[in-house]
Amino acid sequence: MARSLRRIPGIAWLLASLVIFFSVFGTRFASAPNLINIGNQSSILLLLALPMTLIVMTEGLDLSMGAVLGLSGVVLAMLLVNGNALPVAFAAALGVGTLFGIANGVLVVALGMPPFVATLGMLGVAQGIALVLTDGQSVAGIGSALPGIYASRWLGIPFAILIAAAAYAAFHFLLYHTRIGTYVFAIGGNREALILAGVPADRYHVLIYAIGGLMAGAGAFLLTGRMSVGHPTAAIGMEFDAMVAVIVGGTKLARGDGWLPGSVLGVMTVGVLKNGLNVMAVPSSLQIASIGLLVIVALLIDSFRGKS
Amino acid sequence: MSSLTYRLLGVLLLGAVLALSTDAFLTVGNLLNVLRQASLIFLLASGLTLVILSAGLDLSIGANLGLSACMAAAAIKSTGSISIGIAAGLACGMTIGIANGLLITTLRLPPFIATYGMLWMVYGINYWAMAGNTIYGFPESFREIGSGYLLGIPIPVLLMAACLIVGSVFTRYTTWGHEIYAIGANPEVARLSGIPVRSRLIMVYTLSGVMSGLAGIVYLARLNSAEAGIGEPLLLPAIAAVLIGGTSLFGGVGSLSGALVGAVILTLVLNGMNLLTISGNWQPLITGVILLLAAGIDTAARNWNESRA
Amino acid sequence: MKVDLAPLIEMRGISKAFPGVRALDDVSLAVSAGEVHMLVGQNGAGKSTLIKVLCGAHHPDRGEFLIDGKAVRIHSVADARRLGIAVIFQEFSLVPFLNVAQNIFLGRELRDRRQMHSEAARLLEVLGVQIDTHTLANNLGVAQQQMIEIAKALSQDARILVMDEPTAALSEPEIVRLFERIRKLKQDGIAIIYISHRLREVFEIGDRITVLRDGRTVASLNPAETSVNELVHLMVGREVDITYGRHFCERPGKTLLETRSLTAANGIRDANIQVRAGEIVGLTGLVGAGRTELVRAIFGADPTTHGEVLIDGTLLTGGPAHSVASGIGLVPENRKTEGLAVIRSVHDNLLVAGLTRTFPNHSYRFRKAFGIVADLIARLRIATPSPQRLARFLSGGNQQKVVIGKWMNAGSRFFIFDEPTRGIDVGSKAEIFSLLDSIVAQGAAVLMISSELPEIVSVCDRAYVMRDKAIAGELQRSQLTEENILRLAMHHG
Repeated sequence: MARSLRRIPGIAWLLASLVIFFSVFGTRFASAPNLINIGNQSSILLLLALPMTLIVMTEGLDLSMGAVLGLSGVVLAMLLVNGNALPVAFAAALGVGTLFGIANGVLVVALGMPPFVATLGMLGVAQGIALVLTDGQSVAGIGSALPGIYASRWLGIPFAILIAAAAYAAFHFLLYHTRIGTYVFAIGGNREALILAGVPADRYHVLIYAIGGLMAGAGAFLLTGRMSVGHPTAAIGMEFDAMVAVIVGGTKLARGDGWLPGSVLGVMTVGVLKNGLNVMAVPSSLQIASIGLLVIVALLIDSFRGKS
Repeated sequence: MSSLTYRLLGVLLLGAVLALSTDAFLTVGNLLNVLRQASLIFLLASGLTLVILSAGLDLSIGANLGLSACMAAAAIKSTGSISIGIAAGLACGMTIGIANGLLITTLRLPPFIATYGMLWMVYGINYWAMAGNTIYGFPESFREIGSGYLLGIPIPVLLMAACLIVGSVFTRYTTWGHEIYAIGANPEVARLSGIPVRSRLIMVYTLSGVMSGLAGIVYLARLNSAEAGIGEPLLLPAIAAVLIGGTSLFGGVGSLSGALVGAVILTLVLNGMNLLTISGNWQPLITGVILLLAAGIDTAARNWNESRA
Repeated sequence: MKVDLAPLIEMRGISKAFPGVRALDDVSLAVSAGEVHMLVGQNGAGKSTLIKVLCGAHHPDRGEFLIDGKAVRIHSVADARRLGIAVIFQEFSLVPFLNVAQNIFLGRELRDRRQMHSEAARLLEVLGVQIDTHTLANNLGVAQQQMIEIAKALSQDARILVMDEPTAALSEPEIVRLFERIRKLKQDGIAIIYISHRLREVFEIGDRITVLRDGRTVASLNPAETSVNELVHLMVGREVDITYGRHFCERPGKTLLETRSLTAANGIRDANIQVRAGEIVGLTGLVGAGRTELVRAIFGADPTTHGEVLIDGTLLTGGPAHSVASGIGLVPENRKTEGLAVIRSVHDNLLVAGLTRTFPNHSYRFRKAFGIVADLIARLRIATPSPQRLARFLSGGNQQKVVIGKWMNAGSRFFIFDEPTRGIDVGSKAEIFSLLDSIVAQGAAVLMISSELPEIVSVCDRAYVMRDKAIAGELQRSQLTEENILRLAMHHG
């Protein structure tokens, strides 16, 4: 019994304790509408945390995801306002995101820039473009099609949660059942071995960042649907939540040691933490602070565990 | 010609271009404005330069500035004393700096993660503490720090000069300064040469924090109001200034005078955009592009050097 | 098992020179299918270079390769692999968080995963290995990882397997199992080139032996026709070409360094050594014997778990900072990564360890700094156009002098040198030794690690020999010969 208990990852314990804590001390935390609420709000975060897992596994990070999501959302909204069809606008959002992802990849892999400065710079560029396009204002009047899709339910399950689940399934397949996934582990774990094996590691490395950008574009679809407007700074900080979710979920910062299910648990933990604090009327500003504290605590625990 | 000379030439070139493009540039008022803006960025960039020299990074300086400004504001309002306000702001900055230093040296967190997490924690605390309010209306003598003059020179510019002098003395004329360069150039060699790497790293992060606090006080004095998040847009310009000034992200190379020139170049570009009535919305974009260019040149130079070694 | 087939692989007249040193000189080697060919020689004899040439990592200046009697060209790692040559280096090339099958088929993944696993399992079975192919490489022991490397080579239809010190990290029972598998591979007709320092193994599993010395093949023998002593003799017997004559220390002074039962996390066990003022004491042994680990433990670069280090009677605690302040200087083997900051100037590198000593009030005076630097440059005859020149542009010998100068500036009384003349041309070597001589003449002491036995013999007053992370013995001046050293260094292994 003791041995199987030890195999349960720490994040699961953390999540369980948070759920119990908030159920006890927060009114209506454990109610069905609230739990669905958490699910909805976490869906977009999961879309970012999935590619972030891959990026962190290859010893990188992407600080630009939130800004890119915002820009994609702005582009999406503007096209809709302009009368374009939803599929066209959606494709454009995906395109914008992917473009930024590729740019990140090229800077980090081809040029050799440290990931944090490359993606920090791209954050500025993405946010800057969004600001110029919108003059700092929301883009409203996108019609009811997109919000309608977002609000729809299929077999009682909200659309966002379904998309998140589908995304998870896709990434799970990608990471654990395809060649690309194998190479993600290899780029992080022993890049030279991969090159020696004759694989063009650089190409796959750039692809990982491109996927990150693509998912940011996908996230824009959901966020714009939820907010009914496109706003340039709506997603600022989401990349941080995504990184927290990934790290807390057990993916290490080196050696290609990643655990995708952990990122899901991490996303749920972040969602539960934020929602629970909300229910307990803790101001959102302190929520942000607590998320920052969370990652530091997680890394602390990790380093202690590693020593034993 | 040293790289600093090239950069100074760049400043002159930029100035010439702007002077030719618009009449509004070459006025005393505008030039003082440019210097005042640059001084704020430089105060922030000075501490950051020390951190980057040690091959580290401090992403929390913007948040630090904001919280320190708010702490100073609250302290002045509640005690009526300017000195206590200034002390509070500096203490706040210093505390955040020490916390960063401890996270990085004792917990061995990579600097970008430690300071990035700190950024969000500090913002969170800032927003929570201010609860959406703005504190405004400060005593005249305090506001002098931001908008006053001494011998015809804006006080922030004097502070910038003082900071440059003190900082340059520190980096060039003290053993601590040389140790920091050594740590940035090769941390293991520095350790094996008997340099107490951990305590020096805590020192640089603390200094960065203090400078952020100082910048916050100057900002507060200039704006005459404090609200949460005011430091947010200053992080990218600060990093850009450091990089433009020739300090390498990889550590061991760079200077404070370079950061000052970098701050001036950046401010000239933004000022020029203003004067040419290019919308302020373009500023984050231009800053981001400049940052990428500077970082790209830094990385390319390093790659080229390594291939020759 | 006697094989008299035509050789599967043959290298003829391979020569390879690097700037300043001739690594291989007209080396020839022939291995038949099903033969285990042992390649022996001292550190620096040319074994690694030969292997790198064979696997396509280096281009030979002259020479040819024949496989199955036909001339082939090996221009790249891919070429070598295509020809069926696989090298298993000491640092494995496995991806830690992929499983066994994925590692074996890295870059050549099969579409059908189940098939990939069954194929991997089959390969392991051929080797007689029982490992679940779903295990992550990270969770395997070293011996098992080695098996995966071999399986990987076999899966690429390797017919020539090169193994570089395969038993270095294995325990006794694992070595026994490895040999069983090697015998199996022999039966399957694989040609094996096996590099080892452990002469016992040479006789246990070798079919033929080639001895390299100074980049040349000095002998090609059958194990049955020779003995350990003869091999040692062949490995060592070089013409002593060192032109350095030293006045040995007649009357050593007080004990400057002493270690008592020193045990460290890096593997060092129970080391007891002493070095006295005026002495140059050698520290030698084979690669992996623990020499660098010992000096790092003494210096405080690696943590110690037991025992003491005393410098001039004072107990050392803590890390390098305390050691430096107490007067120890370490000139590491990797001078470009651990000795100097190559992106900084000669000036800065010379002063970096003595900053607190030179400027006790923390105030850096340039006039004083320039003076000290100029003095050091003159005294050590460091060839540099200016003290501001970046260290990366100096020659190896001059870089070494800068590191030495750094410690002189720090006031060191006890110097540790780890391979002081590695990568340095002959002319500068003599200069370095002359420097060492003058250092100890002034009352300091030197502990010198070297793999070049003639150096140890002609320069050191006495020497400690290490083996398996412990001191195997001490040789006084009169006993200090290359053969005695090798015998102590290789006794069991």
